[in-house]
Amino acid sequence: MTTVNERMVFLDGSRLIIEAMARAGAGAYIGYPITPVNWLFAGAKQRIPIALEAPDEITALQWAAGFSSSGVFPVTASAFPGFALMIESINMSFMMELPMVIILAQRLGPSTGSATTGGQGDLLLLRGCISGGYSLPVFCPSNLNDCWDMAAASVHAAVSLRTPVVLLTSKEMVMTNQNMDISGLNKIERAERHMHEGNGQYKTYGVNGNLAPPFLPLGNDLHQVRLNASTHDMEGITQKNSPEALGNTERLKNKIEQSVDEYTYFEHDQDEGADTVILTYGISAEAAREAVGLLRASGESVSLLVMKTLLPVPPRIYELLSAYRHVVVVEENIVGLLRELLYGNRQHDRVHGVNKIGHMITPQEIAEGVRQCRKPS
Amino acid sequence: MQETILNDLKMPYCPGCGHTVANKSMSKALADMGVHPLDVIVVSDIGCTGLVDPLLTCHTIHGLHGRAVALAMGIRMGLEHPDKNIIALQGDGGATIGLQHLLEAARHNLDLTLVVQNNMVYGMTGGQTSGLSSTEFKEPERPETAVPGYDICTLAQNAGAAYTARTFIGTDTAELWKEALSTPGFSLIEIVEMCPAYGMRKVQELHDTADYESVVTRNPRAVGLPHRAIGRSLLDGLKPIEHTCEAPLEGRLEIIVAGSAGEAIQSAGDLLSTAGITAGLSATKKGDYPITIGTGFSVAEVILSRQPIHYTGIDCPDIMIVISQDGLDKVRSRIGEHTLVIADAKLGPELEELAGQLNLMTRDFRKTGGSKGAALAAIAHWLQDNGFLPIEALIEAASRHKHGDKMKVIIDKAVAA
Repeated sequence: MTTVNERMVFLDGSRLIIEAMARAGAGAYIGYPITPVNWLFAGAKQRIPIALEAPDEITALQWAAGFSSSGVFPVTASAFPGFALMIESINMSFMMELPMVIILAQRLGPSTGSATTGGQGDLLLLRGCISGGYSLPVFCPSNLNDCWDMAAASVHAAVSLRTPVVLLTSKEMVMTNQNMDISGLNKIERAERHMHEGNGQYKTYGVNGNLAPPFLPLGNDLHQVRLNASTHDMEGITQKNSPEALGNTERLKNKIEQSVDEYTYFEHDQDEGADTVILTYGISAEAAREAVGLLRASGESVSLLVMKTLLPVPPRIYELLSAYRHVVVVEENIVGLLRELLYGNRQHDRVHGVNKIGHMITPQEIAEGVRQCRKPS
Repeated sequence: MQETILNDLKMPYCPGCGHTVANKSMSKALADMGVHPLDVIVVSDIGCTGLVDPLLTCHTIHGLHGRAVALAMGIRMGLEHPDKNIIALQGDGGATIGLQHLLEAARHNLDLTLVVQNNMVYGMTGGQTSGLSSTEFKEPERPETAVPGYDICTLAQNAGAAYTARTFIGTDTAELWKEALSTPGFSLIEIVEMCPAYGMRKVQELHDTADYESVVTRNPRAVGLPHRAIGRSLLDGLKPIEHTCEAPLEGRLEIIVAGSAGEAIQSAGDLLSTAGITAGLSATKKGDYPITIGTGFSVAEVILSRQPIHYTGIDCPDIMIVISQDGLDKVRSRIGEHTLVIADAKLGPELEELAGQLNLMTRDFRKTGGSKGAALAAIAHWLQDNGFLPIEALIEAASRHKHGDKMKVIIDKAVAA
């Protein structure tokens, strides 16, 4: 029977993501409606102080950048077709160092594909979407609890690193209702921007040894703010390729990569002595958890590693994977995007894939994949 | 800090370029109005117009080609200081790319000023024509391909701009600037200029080739601003589901409920899930329906389990409840050997024909519950028949619903039948 503190409800991931982001400080949601982010949009309209329909996704990102430069934390959400339109403006925001979160709910592609069918086909798009190859931080919830925790982590990383962050999810995560006891949800602190203080000299991109510069909003009464999407010096003045400007651009790479340990999230369900690990993320993680149960119930040893920080790839992930003879990478695409991200295009004897499109990968298929890779060739 | 928004650096423009004059006019107008540079935010576009950025002593934000107006809109909506002046600077190329943004800003009538410095040419990339180039403008490589340009003042006016003005370089623009900057809402100044590198070199030639003339329009109306609400928690409003009874179910049960749009299939799925949670089970539910949600099939997939549910997919369900032809057409292929099909009586003949050995139960659920209650009637009948869940759990779940009284009547009728 219900215990005293329990609060069992029936809800979807969209609701948790929006509520968590609101608590972490999201002040504006700007969206162009697209399936499967419908429920995110609906939740934002109830919860976020400013919630706006943009006429298209380019506008959505430009408005988001405007909000962010004014000091309001913006969130937007889309699927691949809209995200593709956003990419130039995400690059702009990355270069200007404007914090924001873009929720990317994956669906079956290519192109418009199937709007109401799930998928995991956009990981490498995120890896390559910033010209120059820089990583955006990308977080990925693997269950309802993660929808809460990773949504909050996204806002905090965006604010502390002054960067756009992507929360990568999928149709099945944001449009499936499940029971959940919400009394155990972690408390979420509001993410506060590191502000420039005092009347001393202010350079918009002056970092004083830190990874990210302190913030002042456009329109403040004390200091001129110069935000710039072109290659720029520390003042924010366009430069072709001066050492100072190139140094500033290099810092954009460093600030994301050097701090990755601070925002590395994963789940490692280690089976002592196991020579095989199932590696996965997002919606496939839930099937993998059941597959682990199936295998262990039949006496077959296996570990599970669920990545929740996908980009930049945390070094800790490679350390953990190196302990296993077989790595079975499970993802809902037929190319093997995570496999390629971690191991390149070359076939590795120890790396195997369980892949599929159009339907979620089942626990039985994953278990079979594990058994196959262990068979002597 | 200087009191003008231009510093002492040399203008980066070619001799005779209209941009130099336009920028100086802007700076003088702001100084004449006594506007402090830190009360100005200039949003600059890509192209020669954007080269002014380093010369400005005000706040600056230098973004993408064509997007300055959209970016300026975001700043205006985020900024809590309505007294700050926001000025977007674009060339005719940027205005062409971002025409939608221009119309959107006019439609919302957000308080900002857009200055389009129209020299009818993409000066940085080889002298190509833009959407604002006039018919007689001669593009260097293909002079014969000219088509009429957009009249952006008329477009902006029709979209709702509070103020629009077109002027030609060489004209005194001081009053236009002042009126545009002091007009509440969206104001547009189009300055028709020369590009000495690719276009004409004489002002008279500019006038001779232009399709349009100087114009000023005024359309005083309410200034747009986004609504700011005090958001309600998305969790606090969720009524907890009390675990008040027990279900005999030990394992996992996969159920598909299928019908047509408008037949409360999703509500029935939610109700069944809530009933399961009331009886101490884990539950998941997802919906499937066409993008055009008002027609065609509607399918709810429900899983009930004694154990926590991770994988939420269903291939061949244990139970399939079908109440309409749309629903049957959608889920027929998912009937497995072990599936118990519970169908409205009208579908019975087709199902019996479909598979002779089908595990089938039919009743006139549409008669019991009506089109909107047939799925619920079928669920109630099934639960009464097999006892996976106590019927009290379904009644308890219905009592949480805004149409709970009607639902209870349907449940009672179904159980009695």
